[in-house]
Amino acid sequence: MLIMIRTLLQVITITSLMLTATLTAAVEHNHQAMALKEVQAGNCEKTEITCAKTVTTAFSPNGDLWRLWTLNSILYFQMSADNGLTFSTRRSVGIDKEKISARNENRPKIAFDKYQGVYLSWATPREKKYTADVRFAYSNDYGKTFTKAITVNNDNLLTGHSFNEMLVTDDGDISIVWLDSRLAYQLRKEGKQTNGSALYIGKANYRKNQTTFSNQPLANNTCVCCRIAMDFNNNNELAVFWRHIYGDNIREFALLTLSQDENAQPLPYQVSHDHWQINGCPHQGGAISINDNNRYHMVWFNQGDLGKGIFYASSSDQGKTLTQPISVGVQSAQAAYPHLNTNGNKIDIVWTQFTGTEHELWHQRSNDNGKSFSAAELLAISSKGSDRPFIIKKGNVSYVSWHRLKQGHLVQAL
Amino acid sequence: MISIKKLSIAFLICCCCCANGAHASSIAFSEEQLFIVKKQNMGKQWLMLLWSVDCPPCFKELAIIQKLQSQHDNLAVVVINTDADDDITKERIDIIKKFELGKLSHYHFIDGQSDQSRYIIDSNWYGELPRSYFFESNGEFHGKSGLVDEVILTHWLVL
Repeated sequence: MLIMIRTLLQVITITSLMLTATLTAAVEHNHQAMALKEVQAGNCEKTEITCAKTVTTAFSPNGDLWRLWTLNSILYFQMSADNGLTFSTRRSVGIDKEKISARNENRPKIAFDKYQGVYLSWATPREKKYTADVRFAYSNDYGKTFTKAITVNNDNLLTGHSFNEMLVTDDGDISIVWLDSRLAYQLRKEGKQTNGSALYIGKANYRKNQTTFSNQPLANNTCVCCRIAMDFNNNNELAVFWRHIYGDNIREFALLTLSQDENAQPLPYQVSHDHWQINGCPHQGGAISINDNNRYHMVWFNQGDLGKGIFYASSSDQGKTLTQPISVGVQSAQAAYPHLNTNGNKIDIVWTQFTGTEHELWHQRSNDNGKSFSAAELLAISSKGSDRPFIIKKGNVSYVSWHRLKQGHLVQAL
Repeated sequence: MISIKKLSIAFLICCCCCANGAHASSIAFSEEQLFIVKKQNMGKQWLMLLWSVDCPPCFKELAIIQKLQSQHDNLAVVVINTDADDDITKERIDIIKKFELGKLSHYHFIDGQSDQSRYIIDSNWYGELPRSYFFESNGEFHGKSGLVDEVILTHWLVL
């Protein structure tokens, strides 16, 4: 036995020497090469929300708070009847397993109608890099069962369709917007230069048996990696807010309102003028909320020559003119990822800051329709990571939803 | 006896495989690793390129580096993946293989440590990508967000 162990040790020693020699050769070949070390891929086999990268929350018309997340190609949800204090047993969405994009700006979406309808939308990556489809499923029994998932984009192209956002009216009119690369795909095939994606909208209504989504382009040359935001104005017209590419890669926010008159050409307005020139991915979309007096309130993040950090502004004419943007948060403290919501004349803004070791969730409120804001208030801290924060509304109370990776999901009244 | 023999063979194969794949390995990023890599490159002009699997323009910069590497030996480039997500480990490795950049030094942000790692490099950087840091021979550096022009990269790394 001793001999056998000695033999084994000799083999190990010789092998180690061989390994060292090979490594030395590698280092000689490229002296920057360093010791081999690879963190093993973490297999978060659990289904708990704490393992999720993103969490999506929304209140249903009956006041239940739903939260939605994905792990290992399955969508999970829970409900809370007490505004997030306690949640029901975790359930999986009854659809076939498929990959679901849920990281940073990309995440599944949930919405409701007033007839127990639950609507889900997500992006599923396809077999080629940067290709995906926007997917959709519907439940008419408050989540007990779901329809078979369908693809919203109708071009049958292996190209990019993602960063989906969804709104559903009480009567079940579904509006999904997304970033779509079909135009870029065609232009590239023709050997033409193009930049960015296009903004598309799809509409359907399952309650009226309109189960095939229309596909309509709204704008071309959008940034390819920032979430879109949207809200209905007081005329039930959809306002869409996104990061656009102007000129030579100037990434600024744009806004358009879709008129009830479907033949009217939507007129986009440039909202931000911070002159952020970057041929790259900011990975930070904005947020929009339209309040009772039809004023559009918006927040965004830029790192331009003329404006750096988070900005808030509002418009009474659908973006044609804008109030002077107000700086939000502390730029030097990494203020980022703003979101906002309105409740009458109350405007709530949340964002994160980073100390170098901890993420902080901050909040600021205006009680006078955005004319002035209270001092910023620190709401919570995360030591292990941070998802984007979002504000959701139930009646006249706003709540912040903030998922802290491997720490937990926070829901707190503002 | 048989099991020890098998164990020995398995260990031998494992080690040889590791050695052959040395160039494609990635090191978990940390403050210490950053210190080491800066120290190693002191005295020369070099580039630190940060990228993500979710960043199409990053691929264009990787492609430029690939082209330069095919024309010049010992390109002074350190490549850092910022995804901080163990779920994309295979994807990250596949992309580096696709661009044939295994000979370069590779690092990756540790799972869930994206912002912490970013802050270690530059507290004034907000995570936009690609991000390129141009290090001078005296260790001074400046960062640039977005795809860097091939002419600039060539001038910095080769000329």
